[in-house]
Amino acid sequence: MSRLLLLSPLLLFLGLAYLLPLSGVMLQSVTTPEPGLQNYSAALGDPLVWSVIWRTLRVCLCVTVLAVVLAYPLTLLWLKGNTATRVLVELAIMIPFWLSVLSRAFGWLSLLSNRGLINSWLQSLGIIAEPLTMVRNEFGVVIGMMHFLIPFAVFPLASAMRSVDDRVILAARGMGASRMRIFWQIFVPMTKSGIVGAALLVFVFSLGFYIVPTLLGGGRSVMIAELIYLRIFQIPNWGLAAALSALLMVSIGAFLVALIKRAGVSTT
Amino acid sequence: MHKHFQQDQVMMLKEKLKSGELSRRGFLQGLALLGGTSALGLSAGSAYAADKEMVFVNWGGDAIEAMSEAFGKGYAAETGVKVLYDGSGPLEGSIKAQAESGNPTWDLVDCDPFSGQALGKLGLMRPIDWEIVDPGKLRDGFQWDYAANSYFYSYVIAYDKTKYDTPPTSMADFFDAEKFPGKRALYKWGVGMWEAALLADGVAPEDLYPLDMDRAHAKIAGFKEHIGAYWGGGAESQSLLLNGDVSMAIIWNTRAMLLDRDTEGEVAMTWAEGIIAPGSTGVLANNPAGGKAAMEYIAYSQAPEAQAKLFALLGNGPANPAADALIPDEDKFYNPVDPKNFAQQTPLDMAWYEENYGAALDAYLGVISA
Repeated sequence: MSRLLLLSPLLLFLGLAYLLPLSGVMLQSVTTPEPGLQNYSAALGDPLVWSVIWRTLRVCLCVTVLAVVLAYPLTLLWLKGNTATRVLVELAIMIPFWLSVLSRAFGWLSLLSNRGLINSWLQSLGIIAEPLTMVRNEFGVVIGMMHFLIPFAVFPLASAMRSVDDRVILAARGMGASRMRIFWQIFVPMTKSGIVGAALLVFVFSLGFYIVPTLLGGGRSVMIAELIYLRIFQIPNWGLAAALSALLMVSIGAFLVALIKRAGVSTT
Repeated sequence: MHKHFQQDQVMMLKEKLKSGELSRRGFLQGLALLGGTSALGLSAGSAYAADKEMVFVNWGGDAIEAMSEAFGKGYAAETGVKVLYDGSGPLEGSIKAQAESGNPTWDLVDCDPFSGQALGKLGLMRPIDWEIVDPGKLRDGFQWDYAANSYFYSYVIAYDKTKYDTPPTSMADFFDAEKFPGKRALYKWGVGMWEAALLADGVAPEDLYPLDMDRAHAKIAGFKEHIGAYWGGGAESQSLLLNGDVSMAIIWNTRAMLLDRDTEGEVAMTWAEGIIAPGSTGVLANNPAGGKAAMEYIAYSQAPEAQAKLFALLGNGPANPAADALIPDEDKFYNPVDPKNFAQQTPLDMAWYEENYGAALDAYLGVISA
């Protein structure tokens, strides 16, 4: 009881600042402009919505897989490397983590554009004749989002790796297992919860990305967050915007529940 | 679309100020003009005891306070109304939220005429009071019930001159990648692009409206492989051409003018088959300061001198035709509504946009992102 009492300011705050407006949005999705489910049927019957959802899923899955795969060795280096490596890796993780998403997106633009650093180098080295198109398309979006999200994958992975009992590794080595075998058959399975946690965090976070796809997508990589923005501000249709938000939220929720159940990750 | 154009204007002013091309005073003047084509406002410490206040919502950002400081006095002296500038941006959805709250804090907004019209018909905007605002100071065909024309801008072809021996002279040239090789850029929010595609496809300017969307989208879809980017803001459009990411683009005339001047003609522009867009000021229904003060503000902004000043700072075409003559001869080329330039272009049909913009933009985004 006293626990509940202690928690009550937070619960009250969350209720007022979060649940109440959220339920307002949910309500709008079935009442604006008139009561009924027409917003949902309009949203689900719209080919643009489907193409945007499909692109969002495609980009976010790519980003999730890449971010986790790249974050894994990075985390290992961070935790198990020698001091110099650890400091270097820590800087490499933390500095971009503190930079604004805008400056990072512009950084990628100047690296990847047709007359950007990478293309100029490759051209002056004679490796390519024509600039490679690396930005203002989905590739650029994936690169930019992945770069932003790698730190978010590192932290759950690090916590999982820290909790691996070193004695298990020692025992495996003592039994004559090769390094590769120890890594793939012991270490990786023991950090599974970290991998799933990292993937979940990255995926859910990536679904709401707005700035990176807008800047690096060259205008043609419209994702779900931008579509909702469009429905709220540009061509106001709040009922439809609310329905889209509700669909996004419910599908993320359902996805999380399914994944957590399947992976058997504890929710505490 | 309009919001982007407006934001862009403030950025251009800031860039000019930084490069020393523009004095601080000129900068503030420009901001003031943007805020509704004429400036007013009163500093807190001013001697004028303004009994009323008014809020004009534009895209100005942090320099707004300085703007009212520098320019409010004249108008405030005349009317006793203190105007506060709010740079939070009158997006159509934001205006709607303000007006529907029943207790708006905004009085005037800088909006697209078709947005103003749509909102007005929902009862969210005041009809323009033609007793106070002078219809004689506006161009024929640019008067709306709920939006007072405040300036013009155009969607024009800008191109990298170093890449082409002969300049493009039509939208058909823009959409011809064999005759004019190289990547292109189009506007992400569709406006003007449908018209461009249809003109390129052989539709006569007078037959454009109602737009044949299927035909326009077929033209754009067939040309997609040549499009390097869809720009969402003026700075982006400018950098696409400057960085050589594209060699030809349809962009706002204000940005094309900067490119032309900054590159000394290496990135040039043409008015040929350009698309003229009007900008306007609207007044929220049940605005706190009342209709009269807001209408008087609009009327005050119609003065030819103020309109010509806006052009001098930004390249916006004057809403008041009497201002065309005040523009120095050497700058007349850049005025989107100068008689010579106007004749080569087609204005957007606001009535069509009011009815169809939402659905058209959806379809366009479907085409360009497919």
